[in-house]
Amino acid sequence: MPPKVKKQKEVVKDERLQAIVLTDSFETRFMPLTSVKPRCLLPLANVPLIEYTLEFLAKAGVDEVYLMCSAHADQIQGYIEQSKWNLPWSPFKVNTIMNLESRSVGDAMRDLDNRGLITGDFLLVSGDVVTNIQFDKVMEAHKARKAVDRDHIATMVLTKASSLHRTRSHAEPATFILDKTNNRCLYYQDIPPADGKKDSVSIDPELLDGVDEFVIRNDLIDCHVDICTPHVPQIFQENFDYQYLRRDFVKSTLSSDILKKTLYAYITDDYAARVESWQTYDAISQDILARWAYPICPDSNYLTQQSYSYEAKHIYKEENVILAQSCKIGSCTAIGSNTIIGDGTYIENSVIGKNCKIGNNITIKNSYIWDNAIIEDNSKLSYSIVANGAKIGNNTILENGSVIGFDVVISNDKTIGKDTRISSEPVERNDQSFANTSDEDEDDEEDDESTHAIQSKIDHQAIVGINGVGYVYESEIEDSDDEFAKPVNSLMYSLGELTLSDDSITSVTQTKQKKKRTMSTTSYHTDMEYEEEEDFDKEAVATVQRAIAENHDLDTALLELNTLRMSMNVTYHEVRLATSTALISKVDEFIISGTLQIKEAIYKLFKHWGNLYKRQAFDQEEEIDLLEILKDLTLTKDYGKQALFHIISVLYDSEIIDEDSILIWWKNAKENYENEYVLKFIDWLEEAEEDSSDEE
Amino acid sequence: MLNRKLKRRQISGSYFVALETCQLLMRVISAARWNNTNQLIEQIRQLGKTLINAQPREFTCGNIIRRVLAIIRDEVYETTENENMTPMISSMFSLLSTNVEKKEPIAPPVPTNPRIHHNKNHDLRSIIIQGIRDLIDEISNIDDGIEAMSVDLIHDNEILLTPTPDSKTVLKFLLKARQKRKFTVLVTECFPNRTSIAHSFAKELSDAKIDTVVIPDSHVFAVMSRVGKVIVGARSVFANGGTVSSAGVAAVAECAKEHKTPVFSVAGLYKLSPTYPFDVENLIEVGNSGKVINFSESNLVQHADITNPLFDYIPPEHIDIYITNMYVFIHPFPVVFWAKFY
Repeated sequence: MPPKVKKQKEVVKDERLQAIVLTDSFETRFMPLTSVKPRCLLPLANVPLIEYTLEFLAKAGVDEVYLMCSAHADQIQGYIEQSKWNLPWSPFKVNTIMNLESRSVGDAMRDLDNRGLITGDFLLVSGDVVTNIQFDKVMEAHKARKAVDRDHIATMVLTKASSLHRTRSHAEPATFILDKTNNRCLYYQDIPPADGKKDSVSIDPELLDGVDEFVIRNDLIDCHVDICTPHVPQIFQENFDYQYLRRDFVKSTLSSDILKKTLYAYITDDYAARVESWQTYDAISQDILARWAYPICPDSNYLTQQSYSYEAKHIYKEENVILAQSCKIGSCTAIGSNTIIGDGTYIENSVIGKNCKIGNNITIKNSYIWDNAIIEDNSKLSYSIVANGAKIGNNTILENGSVIGFDVVISNDKTIGKDTRISSEPVERNDQSFANTSDEDEDDEEDDESTHAIQSKIDHQAIVGINGVGYVYESEIEDSDDEFAKPVNSLMYSLGELTLSDDSITSVTQTKQKKKRTMSTTSYHTDMEYEEEEDFDKEAVATVQRAIAENHDLDTALLELNTLRMSMNVTYHEVRLATSTALISKVDEFIISGTLQIKEAIYKLFKHWGNLYKRQAFDQEEEIDLLEILKDLTLTKDYGKQALFHIISVLYDSEIIDEDSILIWWKNAKENYENEYVLKFIDWLEEAEEDSSDEE
Repeated sequence: MLNRKLKRRQISGSYFVALETCQLLMRVISAARWNNTNQLIEQIRQLGKTLINAQPREFTCGNIIRRVLAIIRDEVYETTENENMTPMISSMFSLLSTNVEKKEPIAPPVPTNPRIHHNKNHDLRSIIIQGIRDLIDEISNIDDGIEAMSVDLIHDNEILLTPTPDSKTVLKFLLKARQKRKFTVLVTECFPNRTSIAHSFAKELSDAKIDTVVIPDSHVFAVMSRVGKVIVGARSVFANGGTVSSAGVAAVAECAKEHKTPVFSVAGLYKLSPTYPFDVENLIEVGNSGKVINFSESNLVQHADITNPLFDYIPPEHIDIYITNMYVFIHPFPVVFWAKFY
């Protein structure tokens, strides 16, 4: 009906523009709050985060939106059903897709591919994007490049900033190397959080072939708004070890010689950022209040019941705000409806939700107080977050970086130290003993049984006070990150330090993901109940077998095996054992089915897959061990002796095992082992050696 | 819904907003069901309220709604007068209806006879829609009326200054005048929000062989002594004559006042609002801070408060003449002129 939409539809032409919203970040940076509410429903400037993303999509002229939900999917679905997006005149149709078993972006993408929803180029955004970019321009750029470069598979939208910009993520900074002439992305390098150590980026010179000029940029905000072609989910499908969009997908696509796909960056001057840590939460809130993201600002009143109006100095107030006469409201502040603010209270750079009660003589600086919170007299808050329904007593001080979770009660005269996070219930599943508060609590993330971080050692009661309700949340990776905490602390950004205490959940649960995937190669959708005591052998064997069956490339298989090895903490011996078992059983299959003779089967398999051993057996001792394993495995087979001979000769030919190892092994083995084929081979080897020495 | 688009700023510029509002009202009126005109008026009012709340600083939206309400009331007034005459023509139906009317004198314009009622509604509907059509015609032809006056107002070899390059009306006004007159136009640069528009505006003027000079905003006072007239495209004119226009205009008007240069406010009738600007601060929309300084300058972003107002309020005493498509009038109490439209 209205002209603007028509115009955009013309751009899109016949195909409908689809958008995939990844509502789950698969990260734990917002714990413990995200244990109750998904990240995309956390309020940013009193509006749930997802609203900003959906507004952006609406403005971009998207026709269909798919929300990929995993954690707290029911909440998200419930929210969408009640929101304005579900009304008949909503600019697009919102579909929620439940894929509860996803544990990473990669999983979500694979699920997406399995569902076959994608019809054309689509927009991939995460559910925490705040942006006012002019999407039609991005789309145009994408189409133009696609016309020129057929291998173009994705356009990433990046915003100009500076390397230490407050809105730029300090948790996941990354360097992009771009072709200066056409913004083709040549390489992507993520920098470890709160870096200071890694000061170089290594680039494969091959990548720069045929590039006249390139720029290395460490000043871009990566807001995870991508236009992807349908190839992207397919690539995820093919490479099932990809977990991250950037770290895995972008990086390996760019460095892969096989794929020959290209990615382009679109650098915009508009505002685009992602709420991915407390630091960016703070920064983006401030940006919205200071109207950097205009027209995204509180007085746009995205929620129907909101009624913010603007006043000078970036102060926003809703209807029915009661301010005491002597209270002072500083710049960049938003106050929700029915909130009462007492005498002598000073507020600046803060957001206060609806129905809050703020007492007298309180100082609130750079803090975010969500709906229905109560703060009593003479308290001081700086750089803190007080979630819905929390209550803070008299004379309480919240130091920089404290997070008070939903419905936590803190009694009078308490000081909450730096970076303390408190939730009203211990973040866990099994432990029901709420009564004995100072007991040890098991800290479980979702259904994450492997990460048993022993919490406690902290007297919860002592922190929240006698009448308080609350448990200190400690992230299990905190210790390891402590060393990083310092440098970022000095990055002059106070909430910044909050980001560092957690790494992404995927890195912790990697083991399990591997396991899950191997078990559900045929059906990704089955919700797996897996046991912790999975032994490595089975896993690894399955991995190799699958690699053979699906004809993965060697590196992938190796990578997987290696990950498995490290996560399960086993030696190379086990890896070799597993690989051999897998290969020999495959040989078995061939022989039993009669498709190939022993020799052909072994040559076929070991010629290629034998290379796996290259990274599993490094010195003589290990090679001998490998031979021993092979011997043991072939021992039971009726054609074993013949097989062993072939295997050894193949491995010898492809220089995986050198002859010294074979000879030494044979010396040890021949005492209790008879194998005429191998004997011949050994003889031949010895002869060859003599020959060569003769020649010399 | 228009409501949402206004919020997202997908529609901007008074002209487009006015047209969109008209279209919407037309659709609403043709689709709405009502039993009596009061109900219809109430419905339109509600709609108006939501629209105005969606973007309280897009004044034309409210103006159009008020105009349409005025049309409806007008029609209702006329039809009720006719109604009172109908009983004279004796027909079965009308007899019935008058009987009912006598029983319930409180709601005289509501005839309960369904058929008559239906016909009447139908008539009213088409009359109102016709009224809105006329309004749309008026809005789209607004520039013609204003253009016609340009020749009378601009002299040969005069130097004009316009601080609102985004106004189409001003552009047409000047282009029309060029056909008979030769003059110079100074265009302010309008940093930061409309700089590119200012440049294209200047380009268009110079294409029409008008001597055009683009001057920085800071330069206005210096050149003012040579300027013969200041032409301002208004975004909205209020009942007291106060005008909301692009940011920077207030300063220009102030300079003009100092030099006793006449200021013309050019506005279509639909921009004349019957409301009174009580809270001037609230009329001004504050735009993207990123236009003022680059967002990538992290130190400034973090430590400085930056505001970027999009509009300015010009008090009525700074404007000498209002030019609309129907009338040209001078300052005191312009509301008298346009009260009859609402």
